[in-house]
Amino acid sequence: MKRIVHFIALLLCSLGLIPAQAAEPVRIGFSIAKTGLFAQAAPSQITAYELWANQVNAAGGLDVAGDRRPVELVWFDDESDPAKSAQIYEKLISDEKVDLLLAPWGTPHHLNVAGVVERHGFPMVGNTAASVAVREVQPGNIWFSTSAIPDRIGPELAALAKQSGVKSVAIIANVLPFAQENLQFLVPALEAEGIEIALNESYPPDISDMTGLLSQIKAAGVDGIIALSYPADSFLYMGQAREVGIDVSFEFLLVGPTISAFSQAFGDFADGIVTIGHWSPHQSKWSRAKPFFDAYVAAYEMNPDYLDTALAYMSCEILEQAVATAGLDRDKLRTAIASSTFDTINGEVSFEGVENAVTPTAFLQLQGGDMHLIWPEDIATASFSPR
Amino acid sequence: MIEILISPQLAFSALVLGSLYSLIALGLNLVYGTMRLLNIAHGDLIMIGAYTTFWIFTLTGIPPFVGLPLAAGIAAAIGAILYFSIFRRQLSGIDRVERIEANSLLLFFGVSVILQNTVGMMFSGSPRAYQFLDTVYEVSGLMMTGNRLAILIFAAIVLTSVVIFLTRSQYGLSISALIQNQTAARVVGINVSRLQFVSFISGFALAGIAGALVSMTEQISPFMGFPFTIAAFVVIILGGLGNIKGGIIAGMLLGFVEIYVVVLTSANFRSMLIYGLFVGILLLRPEGLLGKTRRH
Amino acid sequence: MTSAFSLLKTRFVWFLFAGLLLIAQVPSILGSYWTLIALNLMMWVAITQSWTLFSGMTGYISLGHVVFYGVGAYVVASTFNTIPLWLAVPMGGIAAALLALVVSVPVLRVRGPYFVILTFGLAELVKFSILNLETVSGKSSRLLFGTPSIEILLYCMIGLVVLATLTTLFVTCSRFGRGLTVIREDEVAAATVGVPVLRYKIIAYTISAIVPGMAGGLMALKSTYFEVLQVFNPIISFTVVTMAIIGGSGDVRGPFLGAVFLVLLSELFWTTAPQFYMILVGLFLILFVIFAPNGIAAFLDKLQISRKSG
Repeated sequence: MKRIVHFIALLLCSLGLIPAQAAEPVRIGFSIAKTGLFAQAAPSQITAYELWANQVNAAGGLDVAGDRRPVELVWFDDESDPAKSAQIYEKLISDEKVDLLLAPWGTPHHLNVAGVVERHGFPMVGNTAASVAVREVQPGNIWFSTSAIPDRIGPELAALAKQSGVKSVAIIANVLPFAQENLQFLVPALEAEGIEIALNESYPPDISDMTGLLSQIKAAGVDGIIALSYPADSFLYMGQAREVGIDVSFEFLLVGPTISAFSQAFGDFADGIVTIGHWSPHQSKWSRAKPFFDAYVAAYEMNPDYLDTALAYMSCEILEQAVATAGLDRDKLRTAIASSTFDTINGEVSFEGVENAVTPTAFLQLQGGDMHLIWPEDIATASFSPR
Repeated sequence: MIEILISPQLAFSALVLGSLYSLIALGLNLVYGTMRLLNIAHGDLIMIGAYTTFWIFTLTGIPPFVGLPLAAGIAAAIGAILYFSIFRRQLSGIDRVERIEANSLLLFFGVSVILQNTVGMMFSGSPRAYQFLDTVYEVSGLMMTGNRLAILIFAAIVLTSVVIFLTRSQYGLSISALIQNQTAARVVGINVSRLQFVSFISGFALAGIAGALVSMTEQISPFMGFPFTIAAFVVIILGGLGNIKGGIIAGMLLGFVEIYVVVLTSANFRSMLIYGLFVGILLLRPEGLLGKTRRH
Repeated sequence: MTSAFSLLKTRFVWFLFAGLLLIAQVPSILGSYWTLIALNLMMWVAITQSWTLFSGMTGYISLGHVVFYGVGAYVVASTFNTIPLWLAVPMGGIAAALLALVVSVPVLRVRGPYFVILTFGLAELVKFSILNLETVSGKSSRLLFGTPSIEILLYCMIGLVVLATLTTLFVTCSRFGRGLTVIREDEVAAATVGVPVLRYKIIAYTISAIVPGMAGGLMALKSTYFEVLQVFNPIISFTVVTMAIIGGSGDVRGPFLGAVFLVLLSELFWTTAPQFYMILVGLFLILFVIFAPNGIAAFLDKLQISRKSG
């Protein structure tokens, strides 16, 4: 099939119908959850990849150590199964013989793929994985762009709460890994800041009503609520907290508020919600941030996910800039990613071991329909405003 | 603690949750009761209803109450297609009841996979949501979000009318007779296959209605249906398979158990409790808490 | 037992061993990606074969076989680096069998659709219980580094396929197996002709848990990351039933045919049209249930008969 396409392309070139492109496309592979449980999370990532690829191609192609070559995305459905994702990267590397790799979605997928890229010595810039477990991964072929690592979120969140005048909090946490890891580091951090934990409850991922939990929180009379939630339960929380009449100055939701549908569902009522996230188009220090936001909105008619889409796009930028200096040679590329500093929509990024060493752990707040960075101060685009 | 337990807030939530459980179980029960078909695609029809309402509201601004009949209609139409293409053949066969039950599980699993992925292909997996009727009303200390109140009211209307229909009207009584005893119903001259068709598409329409209601408060996605299917099965097992009134009571019961047990123990035990209850009932009283003892 | 040994002479068994030998060559000929596919294929055959041993023979359709797979995987993942793997994987199988034995007495009293839903609910109950256990002990996810290579896992999995297939073959030809078939036809009649119904069902159920337990343990080693929800995914139960139906659930060849069919179909389509592939799986399941309820195996027999007579 590919040969036929090439043949036709050649034919058309020789007829002068399309401009001759001397260069072979650079093939970039990744897996995505097109079906299954995570299918609803995947669009936030694949749109970033597509946007980036289109932009690169429109600008004349990817700069491969001086040569301009078009990019071609090669992706397969992992059916939301992390084991299948590993299988796909195996296929991409050994069967499809792709030139570069982009990351799959989510922590389990990243950590499963880590073994594959390690075995093949194929460098990959990760994005949407956040777990203390990433530090157990042998450094060398995978890097994690996020700064939302639970052992850093805990102390920072406690500090933000303290600064926002919170004296006592209620914590509710999903039992799934990311939430539980956060819980583990958050509790001691809050205690260290002298914030009282009036209530600390975990709940299963398929919870269908929170009225009981929220009534208990209300009765506890706290001034801050930290919900270590996943998207579905973030939605549930929002709808029912209002009904129960939760009225606290500080409300934090872990995952969910950065999704475009969240603002659509709750409008003004979502105003003041705090969440994790280290990117915002409003930070003018990052010259690439606003143009990316505008291009995204123009292409997809919705806001990007401030966390996942931004991270996915960052990982493309890092790869692009590394390839510009190192080309496609895996050893050179590995060195380039590990040792260079990159200019991304999230400002400068460089890696130490497997971690992003520059981007601080930060928090966003929904203010007047916009997502603003409110912590830490040196990148903040607005200050915390109580709900 | 006592104050929370006796607060009307908790009772309201239990009513909303319970009425939703009753409603989603009703359609499933109707299809099982009249035909012994186990519809594990039931949740996916809820999803179809939710998408229909979402698109009507988002594209035209027509409120979900008006979109609701269309959601029911589309679900019923899917039901009609499935009935004529697949299930009529199954039902008219001379197979034993047990075989129909087992086969129907597999057939509906196929239907479920097809529905999920067709919707996924058409609208992508992105979660969707809209804002509708989300003002909070206060009545002497009880706070109610408009859309949750609407779920309660609509579910109550649908449940009552279905029960009245089944117990008062001639047609409904025939369906009840069919549920009680198929052979006897045939003997007394009831047109069984016609009634089965009506029950089949009604069950689907009820799922569509439930979906329209759910879409007002939850985010929707192509794969949202499965938890609803599970909940519906838990309810109809509690109430006794094919026992319509038992299912409605069991749905309300489950809503109350879920809400109050979370407060009394810990939210962490919620799912263990639901499935524990489910398994326990099946082991101790497989005909359901409210079911009559019946042997095939 | 003599009839069981005579079965070893049948063409199927030789086909089978030739096929398995061929699959064992995949790593050296086709490379790492196809080795993974082969491993998956063998896993599905092994689990589906054990499923038919119980559900195919007795007619009790289990929609919760993933619970044994998950328990085996959990045993291996939670003892990783403390217990040697040659011990941990069989322990996974034993743990699964123990679970089956413990729950079997009450569970197997339930019949028909109740049994189907019960097995499903039981699997979910165990899933959420283990999830809770992990939360309480502060272990939300586990990383497994330094697991055996995929080739070694593949050879072990082929071993499981042989084990499961031979068990099914011997059971089919034994008094025990004939007893199970009688139970499927009519349980009450079986009891009156002296078949120890409950004991036979319990034994079959327990045996059918061993191989999925070990398969789960092996598959846990394939991934570097272990998460409870992943190994207790109900889709695994559904897939096993689908494969058994498509292949033919009353036949020792069924699991091979069903698994090969779906794995090949998946290889053909998921790369280009993943959702379309899932739709096709749904369609095939429906078509087989309606038109070929005894699966590809019965279809092949029919083909052979018509060729002989024609």
